[in-house]
Amino acid sequence: MIEIDNLVKHYGPKKAVNGISFTVNDDEILGFLGPNGAGKTTTMNIITGYLSSTSGTVKVNGHDILEEPELAKKDIGYLPEQPPLYLDMTVLEYLNFMCDLKKVKKQDRKRMLAEIMAMVKITDVADRLIGNLSKGYKQRVGIAQALIGNPKILILDEPTVGLDPSQVLEIRKLVKSLAKNHSVIISSHILSEIQAVCDRVVIINNGKVAAIDTISDLSKRLSGSSKLLMTIRGIGKDAAGRIGVIPGVNEVKIRRSDGDIHELEISISNEAKSDLRETIFFTMAQAGFPMLEFRSCDPTLEEVFLSITG
Amino acid sequence: MQAIFKREFLSYFRNPTGYVAIALFSFISGVFFIMQVSQGQVEIASEVTSLRSFFIVIVPIVTMGLFSEDRKRGTDVIYYANPITMFDVVMGKFLAAMSLFFIMFINVFIHMIATKILGGKVGVGSWGTVIVFFFLAALFVAIGCLASAITDSQIISAIVCFVFILIIQLISTLSSLLNTAVTTLLTKMNVGSEQASSIGSALENGINWLDPFTKTKDFRYGSFSVAPLIFCISMAIFFLYLTYRLLEKKRWSQS
Repeated sequence: MIEIDNLVKHYGPKKAVNGISFTVNDDEILGFLGPNGAGKTTTMNIITGYLSSTSGTVKVNGHDILEEPELAKKDIGYLPEQPPLYLDMTVLEYLNFMCDLKKVKKQDRKRMLAEIMAMVKITDVADRLIGNLSKGYKQRVGIAQALIGNPKILILDEPTVGLDPSQVLEIRKLVKSLAKNHSVIISSHILSEIQAVCDRVVIINNGKVAAIDTISDLSKRLSGSSKLLMTIRGIGKDAAGRIGVIPGVNEVKIRRSDGDIHELEISISNEAKSDLRETIFFTMAQAGFPMLEFRSCDPTLEEVFLSITG
Repeated sequence: MQAIFKREFLSYFRNPTGYVAIALFSFISGVFFIMQVSQGQVEIASEVTSLRSFFIVIVPIVTMGLFSEDRKRGTDVIYYANPITMFDVVMGKFLAAMSLFFIMFINVFIHMIATKILGGKVGVGSWGTVIVFFFLAALFVAIGCLASAITDSQIISAIVCFVFILIIQLISTLSSLLNTAVTTLLTKMNVGSEQASSIGSALENGINWLDPFTKTKDFRYGSFSVAPLIFCISMAIFFLYLTYRLLEKKRWSQS
């Protein structure tokens, strides 16, 4: 568990981080979003002890990162934006070096390295020089070093940058599987990635927390209601009128018409007590409006992100 | 500390740095030795004393990448974000560089053995110069560590280290020049010539006090004392402490 309280970091007159507070729970994947220069990497660097904050505290499993750095850092695995790799070492030499730094016991080392290398699929390049590996493999070695010592918390800064689509999917799968017994903070510019793996997201902008919530709650909060999109055949105004009187429906708009085919946008109040989709379906069926398409249409994470960060 | 030491020491042999330093040192010491052999009189103390003038080339080669390379490649994050202290990092790297000096020096030990075999004498003075060599090496490697922690450019680090060692090597010449300059200036400012000369001399003596070469010159003649060695070690600790503070400061950097 990480507790971040009122974190501030000055760079000269500029406040790169300005009073950020949030908590990362056990076994949770937290997405960390924000436009370039919002303070994501600075915050991650402060959490890992790479940088010190001007004020505020970071507690890792109850240990303050500045007052008890060794205990706090023992629980953190960090993959920075640029993986910290020694290009003149082989993968195995490098991972052994990281085991030394993380004080992994000699008797556990062989088994741990074998497991981690199998997990990130680098066993076949174990004896190759890191400098000769492709970007994708280097990224995996970076993830492997973060996993050494089985830290309870993983902080991954843009872990899928430079990977091909199949590697991206693999890493996502890996991150999801890690969340079973790790807390993970993951920052990414790829919003679909955050949407695919994260339980909650923290959006920061200009060094401040702009929003913290689950993705679906953020979408609802943004729109104030959830939306449904429906395509029917028949008289559009008549259909809209019938749906509009259903309790819980805020508004019905005809978005597009093509002959007798109409696309309706139905706004549903968040106070609606039940799922109205069935009611709407039967209303249309009874009125004899053939339904060609029916889907929910909440704002995407992209829309939420753009709306929050302006 | 052990992990850092091991990595740094082995890294000298993963790239040309270690080989270049050893080859250069072996070549220079070999030339001195052969010259003495050809003259029919070998004095190890003279060889080791002459080798000290090459600190100015070898120390920058050995130390220039110690910290600057980590900063350039972003691998310094390893030292800040893992459960180790900056003291471990500085000492690990310093000891790795010192170990390379020890490896380089094996060549001189071979010369000592060869001298014995050829019926020559390796006197107390020779061992005195060997002791001084390592204490001076510690001082200069500590300066190299500081120069490397200042910047992320190996070249700039090497130049800073070079200039620093050059100043120390020329310290007695520089202090004498300063004495003359200050005395002349004060005389022109209507200060009594006796007073001006005593101020100039005091300045020269004060600066000369910092000269590690003068302090340790008697070791060559078999006259050992602890004070010069403590001076070298204290200065080395001072520069290593500055390196440590500089690296810690990076964490608090506001730029």
